Amino acid sequence: MTTMTDTRSTRAASPDAAPLRRRRRRRFDRRWLGVLPAAVVLGALAFYPLAQLVRMSVSAVTSATLSLDWAFVGAGNWIKGWQEGDLPHAIVNTLVFVVIVTVLGLVGGLVAAIALRRAGRMGALLLGLMVFIWALPPVVNGSVWKFLLADAGLINSVLHSVGLPSVPFLFDEHLALVSVALVNSWAIIPFNALVFRAAILGIPEEIFEAAQIDGARPAQELRYVLLPAVRPTSLVLAVLTVVYAFRSFDFIYVMTYGGPGKATNTLPFLGYLQAFVRNDYGLGASTAVLAAAFVLVLAVVYARSVRREELES
Amino acid sequence: MQFSAEPRPLRPPLRRPRRLVRTIAAAAALATAALGLAACSSGGSSGSSKTITVWHYFSASEKAQVGLMDTYAKLFEKSNPGVTVDNVYVPYDQIQSKVTAAANAHQGPDIVVFNGAEAGTYALANTLLPIDSYLDSFADASQLSPSTIHKVEGKTYAVQGYVNLLGLWYNKDVLAKAGIANPPTTMDELTADLAKVKAAGADGITLCGLPQGQGEWQAYPWLTDAGFSYQDPSADALAKAFTTIQDWVGKGYLSKEAVTWDQTVPFQKWEAGNVAFAENGNWQIGSAKSDAKFNYGVVPMPLGPDGKVYLGGEGEGIGKYSKNPALAWKYLEQTYLSTEGQLDALKAVGSIPSRTDAAADPSIAADPLLKPFADSIAKFGASYPDPAVKPASIADLQLAVGQAWSGVIGQQSSPKDAATQLASKLAGYVS
Repeated sequence: MTTMTDTRSTRAASPDAAPLRRRRRRRFDRRWLGVLPAAVVLGALAFYPLAQLVRMSVSAVTSATLSLDWAFVGAGNWIKGWQEGDLPHAIVNTLVFVVIVTVLGLVGGLVAAIALRRAGRMGALLLGLMVFIWALPPVVNGSVWKFLLADAGLINSVLHSVGLPSVPFLFDEHLALVSVALVNSWAIIPFNALVFRAAILGIPEEIFEAAQIDGARPAQELRYVLLPAVRPTSLVLAVLTVVYAFRSFDFIYVMTYGGPGKATNTLPFLGYLQAFVRNDYGLGASTAVLAAAFVLVLAVVYARSVRREELES
Repeated sequence: MQFSAEPRPLRPPLRRPRRLVRTIAAAAALATAALGLAACSSGGSSGSSKTITVWHYFSASEKAQVGLMDTYAKLFEKSNPGVTVDNVYVPYDQIQSKVTAAANAHQGPDIVVFNGAEAGTYALANTLLPIDSYLDSFADASQLSPSTIHKVEGKTYAVQGYVNLLGLWYNKDVLAKAGIANPPTTMDELTADLAKVKAAGADGITLCGLPQGQGEWQAYPWLTDAGFSYQDPSADALAKAFTTIQDWVGKGYLSKEAVTWDQTVPFQKWEAGNVAFAENGNWQIGSAKSDAKFNYGVVPMPLGPDGKVYLGGEGEGIGKYSKNPALAWKYLEQTYLSTEGQLDALKAVGSIPSRTDAAADPSIAADPLLKPFADSIAKFGASYPDPAVKPASIADLQLAVGQAWSGVIGQQSSPKDAATQLASKLAGYVS
């Protein structure tokens, strides 16, 4: 109410400037109100759980104390996680996993997009199929691949038929992580291909024609026209793929359950085991916060790259 | 809150859109709140006192188990006119957290049917009501096998209407081809038989090597046969058992792929016909009858005097916030704990009754597939989980043993290293 009186008096004092200012303010107000529902939902479904997660990670929380006061333990959960010896191993596994998925996901996506650049009927069919693969729930995808990669699965049967020995895709301690990462890459390639394709289709056809008139071979066209044009997209996509790889849990859950032994435990899966199998929610939350911190850094990089791209365009 | 401090609009035409925005914002806030409330209320309540709500984790695909739940509902409704039994399916991996969440809101089912091994976890999360007073007044309490009564810190929280346990399934045709007259009764005999089977061109044995609780459940007979016990976790005994298993993998008797198998897949592999043995449970009887197209049989696990087999199965407890615990107990007495109810479970699922009188039913002794399991209960039966394990550490222990078991089968670690690491961990989990 006092503000209102102030406004009135200001208006009286400088009749020309005030209405303009007030109109601006009013527009500003309305925009905030429009944002309110989204802010409420986001606050309730994203920020509040995240704050709880952080609180949980510095507290001793088990199923017995979940509904009681959580005792503060500081860095106790991280120390426990480190001392149990599972954390360093999971970090290394996660990094290996992320590198494989990111490299294959991006290269595979780009190759697929270039191959589908001049999509005919077959290309359209292939695109549709890729979207279908991308939209499949990971649990279904993972189960199918577990079946295909089994000792007596399709892939080993094919290897057998050409006289090669069978490969222990999912139960060799080194190969299991690579196999799951390959399947994970396979699942993200369609999405990356679609985004790359959109970027490639955005390049004016005249540029390719000009390059051809100048005598550019396909390889040069790729190097000097196509790749520079999709560079900003690649950056955004790289960050998205890294984040995707970082939080991948479902394929591991379905295909190896972290095994053999602990060979395919990554940060998200380790967090799951700690929180929902061992019911040590504090310990699980500390692992989850660590994973979230990595992703958060990447999210900042992503936000910046998006902003830069917006400024450039 | 910021918005109310802003200047009110002075010109009427502007007021309407603003009011509209406010209305929309209020509606959105209301909708969000309503969603939140709906989420809270989905925790479930026991409804009217004449309804018994039973939460279980049997999905529609487990027809025999779901059918048994329906049979129990009808049984109880018939003898208690006016009472309704409401069976509610909650997926296995969600039931514990949902029961915990509901109890936090002072709500929840009247009866929880859960994995009996997790009784400690449920009890410590304050989700179950102690049932000692009801059990004390139960006339047939002495009929119940002690290993099917789950006590945590001196109080009883759950009972079991039946038990599930492991046996050694064998393919008679494969054994005959390998020149083996009778199934093995000791570990040495089993290892010798595996060599013969392998030489005859068949596969040896299938079992579960998944790095979690199921792996621990399947490892337990082999570990205890080697002299291991949770009371005194010795690395030497563990190493002995791990060496045997890793030898089997090395010699090709057991596929390393077992690390990716839950308990269903290895039985399907055995049912395919070229595998001599399968370590699997009585709950597979129905599956064997329909899918195994060869001569087969089952015997108790080939264990020595120290060997043990867990007596698993679902535990039944009364929800801490049941509105009518007396009626809930009556439901347990008349279904899971009655002779009639237990024989229903035997017929529907092949589960072995937990009552002595029901287990002595002639239909069990006369059934060549059920009898070996009934014999095993008497010979090797052990409480699941082991009473030596601290209730709060059961899940930790199951995961740690399952991971070690899987690591050994997957040849990720040597038997000695796995045993040493595991033994040092176990020391903190047992009392």
